[in-house]
Amino acid sequence: MTIFATIAGLTLRALLGRRRSILMLILAAMPVLLGLLVRANDQDVSNVGPTLDGFVVRIVLPLIALVFGTAALGSELDDGTAVALLTKPIDRWMIVLAKVAVAGTLTAALVVPSTILAGILMGGTDSRTLSVTFAFALGTLIGSYLYVAIFLTLSVATSRGLIIGLAYSLVWEGILGGLLPGSEIFSVREYIGGIASTLEHSAVTDSLVGSGGFLYAAVAFVIAVVLGSVRLAVYEVRGAD
Amino acid sequence: MTVPTFAPLPPPDAPPGTPTAPIVVDRVSRWYGNVVAVNDITFALAPGITGLLGPNGAGKTTLLHMLAGLLRPSSGQARIEGQVAWRNPSVYRSVGLVPEREAIYPFLTGRELAELAGRLQRLPDPEAAAARAIRTVDLEAAADRPTGTYSKGMRQRAKIAAALVHDPQILLLDEPFNGMDPRQRIHMMELLRGMAAAGRTILFSSHILEEVERLADGVLVIVAGRLAAAGDFREIRRLMTDRPHTFLVRSSDDRRLAAAFMAEPAVFGTELRENRLTVRVAEFAGFTRAVARVARDASVSLFEVAPTDDSLESVFAYLVSRR
Repeated sequence: MTIFATIAGLTLRALLGRRRSILMLILAAMPVLLGLLVRANDQDVSNVGPTLDGFVVRIVLPLIALVFGTAALGSELDDGTAVALLTKPIDRWMIVLAKVAVAGTLTAALVVPSTILAGILMGGTDSRTLSVTFAFALGTLIGSYLYVAIFLTLSVATSRGLIIGLAYSLVWEGILGGLLPGSEIFSVREYIGGIASTLEHSAVTDSLVGSGGFLYAAVAFVIAVVLGSVRLAVYEVRGAD
Repeated sequence: MTVPTFAPLPPPDAPPGTPTAPIVVDRVSRWYGNVVAVNDITFALAPGITGLLGPNGAGKTTLLHMLAGLLRPSSGQARIEGQVAWRNPSVYRSVGLVPEREAIYPFLTGRELAELAGRLQRLPDPEAAAARAIRTVDLEAAADRPTGTYSKGMRQRAKIAAALVHDPQILLLDEPFNGMDPRQRIHMMELLRGMAAAGRTILFSSHILEEVERLADGVLVIVAGRLAAAGDFREIRRLMTDRPHTFLVRSSDDRRLAAAFMAEPAVFGTELRENRLTVRVAEFAGFTRAVARVARDASVSLFEVAPTDDSLESVFAYLVSRR
């Protein structure tokens, strides 16, 4: 078994704690429940784009990514269990990358199916709805890994990663992002909107970054992983005295 | 067999590749803001067992973490087999660390924890190495239970198994006997003695004098971040014993006894207050040899002779003050 697979396997077991898994499942089920409500009322939503953008991309995805992203490494650094990894002859970037891969995959495994199911339940199976739904599915897939990389790096850089990550998502992306011109290039939500609108124009009609979302997301991911690796390389484990 | 513990420091201008002691701490300090945790400590260790002795909060863990590459020294260098430990994960090929903090992945069994360490060390057969390490620390009976269900002593042994899985040349242990029962303690001491005899370099920290006395060939005494004493345990023990002591004495006639004590060369002061006789002596052994004779010659019956300042902290404070 490779080092990468060993760290990934360990991270998977650590993240799949029963209480956390149930909470994240409930969160991911919310859009599906909303879709079921729409379906129960027998009212198709004409354009599922704004609903998926407003609910999945703005709330469900960042919250799940925040929980998995900060728990994957930051929690282990805080409680000391990560010493088992830090005292081994392995490159720090390998630890960061393996943990981002696992936490990102778990996030995507919950959010992407939730996006698809909610889109179909709310909008039906006509070609335009499917096109919008799958555009958002790809956007949330990419966004899962990017959000997790950012939140994991925050959790390595500071013991308040969870709070800062929440502030980034709610305050920066949610409030300030719409007010400050140019802030869209620092918003994962905007990248996801750009990716979705590139694949299906009607998914997000007012995207500020457009097809640039792919590039911004790729660059932001690389920067987050590099910063996380550099920060982990100089991470200090303090003792009791 | 007594294994030499202390080694000469390499000269500052030694070219790269020059054979060096396995552990070198060279003018290492570490401070947090205005607080100095470790203050200008220098030593080098050869194979053998060395005890890092000091009261809680003395800086033992900080020093061990700098040696293990987990903390950056504010000044100076900590070197493992000639390589700087900080930001150098390759040193972990030859180092096993048993941290004081108990945290281990609670869902892993003891065997899985050791196998994880073996895989991350890229051992060719991590399962066999883990089984060997589990056997070595006598954890076979509980090896397949999650460590979250372990007692403190079992968790300690699981951590030691994980640290030993790659058979490291250097072992750093932070308060390794915490939580172990006497039988486990003896077993672990035998294990460490065997490793030292096989040429390993072992540094362990403790705040318990007797642990260090039973196990270590050499001792580093650290107090308030400073190296208060270093050397052979017997020499340190002598320093600790032959220091000024204060005794409380109760007798049938304290006043007469106080006068008689003043004629003794080992005694440099007596004080009689509130029916309590306090005797200050320059030398512990000399006084304890003389006390019964002095009382007999003065025809005084002794009821109690008790040292008042024999706590480890007072011993450490004395060692610091004499430097």
